[in-house]
Amino acid sequence: MTTHECDVCIIGGGISSAMLAQKLAELRPGISITVIESGKKLFDFENRIEYRRRSIDYAENPWPGDFIEDQAAKGVISRTMAVGGSALHWGGTCNRFSEEDLRLKSMYGLYTDWPIDWKELEEFYCEAERRLGVSGEPSPLPEDWRSEPYPMPAMVMTHNLKELKQWGEKSGIPFWTTPQAKNTRPYDGRNQCIRCNTCTICPTGARYSPDFTFKRLLAQKNFALHDQTLIRKLILDDGKTTMAAAQAVNRARPDEPIEYRAPVFVLASGYCWSPHLLLLSRNSRFPDGLANRSGMVGRYMCGHAFLSAMIEIDAKIYPGMNEQHGLISRQFFRCKTDQPFIRHDLRIWESASGHEPRLRSADGRILLGDSLLADWRERAKRGTARVRGYYDVHPDRDSSLTLDVTSRNRWGDPLPSIAHKPDAATESRQQFTRQHFQQLFQTLAKANNGKMLSTGAGNYWDHPAGGCRMGADPSTSVCDSFGQTHDHENLFVVGSPTLPNAGCTNGTLTFVALTLRSADRIATHFRSPA
Amino acid sequence: MRRRTLLRWIASLGSAIRLTSLRAWAQTASFPGDQTPALGALAAIVLPSELGLEGIRAVARNFERWVREYRPGAEMDHGYGFTRLRNKPVSPAPAYLRQLEALVPALTSGDAASSRRAVEAALEEAKITDLPRSPDGRHIGADLMAFYFRGSDANDLCYRAAIGRDRCRSLAGSDNPPPELPKQELQK
Repeated sequence: MTTHECDVCIIGGGISSAMLAQKLAELRPGISITVIESGKKLFDFENRIEYRRRSIDYAENPWPGDFIEDQAAKGVISRTMAVGGSALHWGGTCNRFSEEDLRLKSMYGLYTDWPIDWKELEEFYCEAERRLGVSGEPSPLPEDWRSEPYPMPAMVMTHNLKELKQWGEKSGIPFWTTPQAKNTRPYDGRNQCIRCNTCTICPTGARYSPDFTFKRLLAQKNFALHDQTLIRKLILDDGKTTMAAAQAVNRARPDEPIEYRAPVFVLASGYCWSPHLLLLSRNSRFPDGLANRSGMVGRYMCGHAFLSAMIEIDAKIYPGMNEQHGLISRQFFRCKTDQPFIRHDLRIWESASGHEPRLRSADGRILLGDSLLADWRERAKRGTARVRGYYDVHPDRDSSLTLDVTSRNRWGDPLPSIAHKPDAATESRQQFTRQHFQQLFQTLAKANNGKMLSTGAGNYWDHPAGGCRMGADPSTSVCDSFGQTHDHENLFVVGSPTLPNAGCTNGTLTFVALTLRSADRIATHFRSPA
Repeated sequence: MRRRTLLRWIASLGSAIRLTSLRAWAQTASFPGDQTPALGALAAIVLPSELGLEGIRAVARNFERWVREYRPGAEMDHGYGFTRLRNKPVSPAPAYLRQLEALVPALTSGDAASSRRAVEAALEEAKITDLPRSPDGRHIGADLMAFYFRGSDANDLCYRAAIGRDRCRSLAGSDNPPPELPKQELQK
């Protein structure tokens, strides 16, 4: 057995881990930090132009080797397991939640409140935006006030977005560009965006990716990154409730068990693998899993549902100008307390839907060469708007992650199974929610001679979170607002698993902001250099 | 079947599989072999004449390179939302060569209408109802069209504008409509 010792052992190598490690290294330069990630390091930035090309030309995986074949979960929405996590291939969207997300109980009598003050979280949003490098334009709505400007000016609004904004605002709804972790000027040693239109594999480094942070940390002497290392179990100190060790196995050297020892352990493995490890780590004193005296580990798994529409409009849209960049309206983040509850964002992107080349005409004739091009051109005279709303749904206690004993990895550990379930109040609002969106899409379509091409409902909850929710009451939550578990003084959970609910817009910036706040608390376990 | 017979059969099966793989590899590496004229004739039918003769030849050459650089078994994108691990299927080159061979009499007849009818009949027979998202090996006619029409250059040609969807471009100027395609772009 190989034993590694460090001051802070961070389990998981995604965006929360990168941000936590970076901030801790700044706050406490003398401490040693080890990050353990079950997937591989994909630090071959120089190959990303070629990976991008193969992805476009052959639909090959733009992140070769970014998954572990036998480490899969039912209900998971991404298979990525590598250093950098899902943020290797994220779109970079950096929307903030709003105060309503944290005050559902006190404002609407629904679900729960977060044990954190909005004003305090706002400070950490600013820090997250600085560290990630976010470009954006401030929301024109006074409720969306911010204490600092965005670190970079907003991405240029393409001709397409200008057309779409003009169209969207005819319905009286204000739209502005979505903030993104993409450089509109050289920032933090990375390049300016040059509109490659493939943000999921950014070949220039203009879109933030955690591997940049890890590479920089690796140049420091007190930082270690152990990839391909799967933590299988957390071990407590004898007779105490504190964490003593994490037992691991290196995937490349499976015959050599490894043990990590540290005074502080942090779970930064995302909404799926964090609760999974706690459940796997059950022992005679904690038969339901670690940090789980409340029975809340793997409960209240959250995310947001979504409805979308493709609307054809009289506008000259040139598909491909910058497909990843879109518009947002936060007008519906607020909901009057005397009205039926509905909260959602509203997004618009350019699209080619309905105007793509086709092999057969409407009457079934095969189109070749010139006739195909003529048919395509005729249909491409009008533009398409892709419209989507992420709406606020609240999880039931039984919205859960459980150990699936019928599915095991190569080490015999049961794998997770996630089944989302809305609470009763959310269920009762479903019909109203759908009607609201139908009406909204119709209102939008009416402008510019619009025609509804299609509508659709998501069959999964996007931007998933939860499973170790924070709370002030140890009987109904897993950790406090800093991610410190109620049951184990030296065990923290950071990022997405700590969220009680997932708001109604992309969650990554919130995961990072909460993690940066946790970093301040974790640092207090070590003496300040001053 | 006796044990020795079974073992011999398994061994011969192994050799046959190895030979088939070797042949597929060779056909991929040298694609389109002696079918270059047939591929050129097919391209002239399924690609737009606006490209001009040289433009059509260039697309056919790019398609040949696409086939030669195809990597059977390569990991495919595993998706988001609904996610699954998949690998690229076997090289389409052997099937393409068979399909080209079947089209040779029509493509070399010198009669554009009959060539066109032959391609349409082949696509009907292959039960291809829509343009593939990307070449999928079912029929070379559909795949050559997918290769071109799903690409960035065809998008530009359709809109008669230098959008450059799959290229890395500057942010500057993107607030204006993309410039019109230069005349020579249309004629190349």
